[in-house]
Amino acid sequence: MGKVIVVTSGKGGVGKTTSTANLGTALALIGKTVVVIDADVGLRNLDVVMGLESRIVYTSMDVIENRCELSRALVKDKRVEGLMLLAASQKNNKDDIQPEQMKAICTELRATHDFVLVDSPAGIESGFRNAAAGAEEALVITTPDVSAIRDADRITGLLQHEGVEPINLVLNRLSPEMVRKGNMVSQSDVVGLLNLKLIGVVPEDREVIASTNRGIPLVHNKNSPGAQAYMRIAKRLTGQRIPIPELREKGFFSNILDWFSGNK
Amino acid sequence: MAKSIVVLRAYQDGLHLNITPTFSVTEVTEAIRKEFERMNQPLAGVSVQIDMNAPLLTEADLAYLKTELQDTYGMEVRGLNIADGTGDSTGVLGEKRPLAARAERGRIEKTRVVRETIRSGQTEDFPEGNLIIYGDVNPGGEVSAGGDIVVLGALRGSAHAGMNGKLSSVIIAMNLVPLQLQIGNYISRPSWGQKSRGYPEIARAGTEDIIIVEEL
Repeated sequence: MGKVIVVTSGKGGVGKTTSTANLGTALALIGKTVVVIDADVGLRNLDVVMGLESRIVYTSMDVIENRCELSRALVKDKRVEGLMLLAASQKNNKDDIQPEQMKAICTELRATHDFVLVDSPAGIESGFRNAAAGAEEALVITTPDVSAIRDADRITGLLQHEGVEPINLVLNRLSPEMVRKGNMVSQSDVVGLLNLKLIGVVPEDREVIASTNRGIPLVHNKNSPGAQAYMRIAKRLTGQRIPIPELREKGFFSNILDWFSGNK
Repeated sequence: MAKSIVVLRAYQDGLHLNITPTFSVTEVTEAIRKEFERMNQPLAGVSVQIDMNAPLLTEADLAYLKTELQDTYGMEVRGLNIADGTGDSTGVLGEKRPLAARAERGRIEKTRVVRETIRSGQTEDFPEGNLIIYGDVNPGGEVSAGGDIVVLGALRGSAHAGMNGKLSSVIIAMNLVPLQLQIGNYISRPSWGQKSRGYPEIARAGTEDIIIVEEL
């Protein structure tokens, strides 16, 4: 029996879709069977980030309206074995799906896969409620700016109200240089305010935009710091204990320290 | 301060009704009416202490005054403090009592205990009494209570104590960095970018619409 995890944030543009695509790919790369579900009905783009746009034949809407079997609607990833995508319908809107229908899909998928990641739309309305309906766990994505943190706090309250547990926090786009200059909220401030378990910190990485535009998730580029961060989060999701390095600017001294601690 | 027979002022331990000597009880009641009218604030349920600089009223007059405050204004008289009249006239007024010396000490009050953090968009209202939060109140979260509010974590959102007008209510937080504080109908907003001071603080209503924040 697998886990259903909703990836959500409240605010838009903080990296829900990017994180879903990369964590799904990373989990598949370490040998897990994974389905990523795009719950952003009417504004889908998980398929674009994963480069699977042209392969979609059926969507979750077709499954709900009994036009096809769930297994036939799953799109196989073209690069990694064991990774599937369930696309959202672009023609419908968010109110065309009911939470129970989403829950039924998640229940069916978790029986046959290790991980089901649900990419939630931004906002706290029906789209979010549908995405969270079938989830037992959540990943709250936030960036280190006050508006994203505020929305993450709001969404955490809603998730707790729904009984979603555990709720893990991913701190995305942290720029060590800006924290050092005092222009960015620090890692410990974010965790202190949200009071959630931090499962990973993804550094600001310009490669993300390039990889999104190419339709190749960042984790395939093994040298990028962002990719390494997502790989570590994926491993933590499977229960491995990997310490979270406090991000700092790379200098000679910290390089030496990293080298000694095997933190490279 | 303009000399009036009766002045209602807020001190560390709550409201005090200060009565100046040499007036008859009828003059005092009339002065009270005027003073309360001038304040134009709901006083029902408010606890007050009567301070007098000289023992000028008889026992019967005092009892009458007490009933008058309780019945006409719905106030609660929690104590009486009469100076002998030989000391300087600010002796009673200027005295600062520690919180523990409140006359309400030991009184059982309705209190709601919330065992979780109040997050953005969440509210907790308890008009019937005091509120204790075992957690934080995050930005965007709102707590309000008829009496005191105690946050055993960081208060980063908004808090409204004494929501029914009880100006003696206080707000206490282990880490007081609120977006907004309200006690009765006094509203205050900390100066921009205020950082945590690292020790517990208490906020109480001062005079003239300000909220005083100090170390607990």
